[in-house]
Amino acid sequence: MGMMDFDFLDDVRRMNKRQLYYQVLNFGMIVSSALMIWKGLMVVTGSESPIVVVLSGSMEPAFYRGDLLFLTNYREEPIRVGEIVVFKIEGREIPIVHRVLKVHEKENGTVKFLTKGDNNSVDDRGLYAPGQLWLEKKEVVGRARGFVPYVGIVTILMNDYPKFKYAILACLGLFVLIHRE
Amino acid sequence: MGKEDSDNGKYKTIEEKPVKIDKWDTAALKNALDDGAKKVMLETYGFTESHALTDGRLLICTIAVGFAMFALIWDYLRPFPESRPVLIMCVLSYFFLMGVLTLYMTYKEKGIFLVALEKDKAKVDPDNRWELASTLRKYDDQYTLSMTYTDAASKKTRTSQITKSVASFFDENGVLCMDLYQPEVKMLKNNVSVSKKE
Repeated sequence: MGMMDFDFLDDVRRMNKRQLYYQVLNFGMIVSSALMIWKGLMVVTGSESPIVVVLSGSMEPAFYRGDLLFLTNYREEPIRVGEIVVFKIEGREIPIVHRVLKVHEKENGTVKFLTKGDNNSVDDRGLYAPGQLWLEKKEVVGRARGFVPYVGIVTILMNDYPKFKYAILACLGLFVLIHRE
Repeated sequence: MGKEDSDNGKYKTIEEKPVKIDKWDTAALKNALDDGAKKVMLETYGFTESHALTDGRLLICTIAVGFAMFALIWDYLRPFPESRPVLIMCVLSYFFLMGVLTLYMTYKEKGIFLVALEKDKAKVDPDNRWELASTLRKYDDQYTLSMTYTDAASKKTRTSQITKSVASFFDENGVLCMDLYQPEVKMLKNNVSVSKKE
């Protein structure tokens, strides 16, 4: 059938083993570059997730849904009231971005702190694990140091419509594999 | 539709089908002309291709991707804070290898897409080396093909090159006309061979 000719695949059919391997390697290198940049950022900032997207409106008017946040997590810096921290409750996957309200600090450096979203009317004790009244340093993913507005909407869209995300990734991957440099 | 059907029936293998590319894509043009020159050198003169240069590039890339995958798996098995030293090592190695790759491609490969060995018929002397390199700047139409011959016995090299517009080899549909390109490649080879006799 005429439709199955797919002339654009001729390039691939003409490739010998080495060229095919190089196409796969090319794809691998693009993925690896992105991966290494992400891991590099993780190492430099000290945070396991150096870039996060604000998912709810609980920090308005400081941060809106869809803003991109840059985090650092240097252990030596103390947590102080008024700082915006991103933390993960044990057992929950989604990180929360809120402001520190109260801090209790021991001489040896251990801290317990309480957080609240700027736009919420109550503090976060309702969000913590059952029986937990204070947050500890180990639950902190990082402190917000900078932000870029609106850019994170793409990530929210991709998570709401996963098929869209897979379709785009598949098309990009296919394009890299087939197109010769 | 009908024309494509009859085209596919005419050619038994993909090798016989004439190369058709997007005539506005500079990368595709260069690749098509490079492949055509390769075909002429290997088929008409019976040289064997040496893969050493390509293998070097593939090796560097494979090691780089290996480091990246290792970092991925290690970080997955031992979550972030403990994996920090390993991650640092992998990230630095990866970008170092990318630098090595760039240097390799600029200084060692230098646009060479074919290294062909002219085997000595008596299998006594070492092989003579033919190198083909080409340049075609982005959005330019001037394709430069250069051939370098290294004599195994005297170790002397002889280079020659031609520069032509890509329009002289491709028709309006983007099909490479080998009957126009092949004589150019052969003439280039004769230029190099004749000079070596002097």
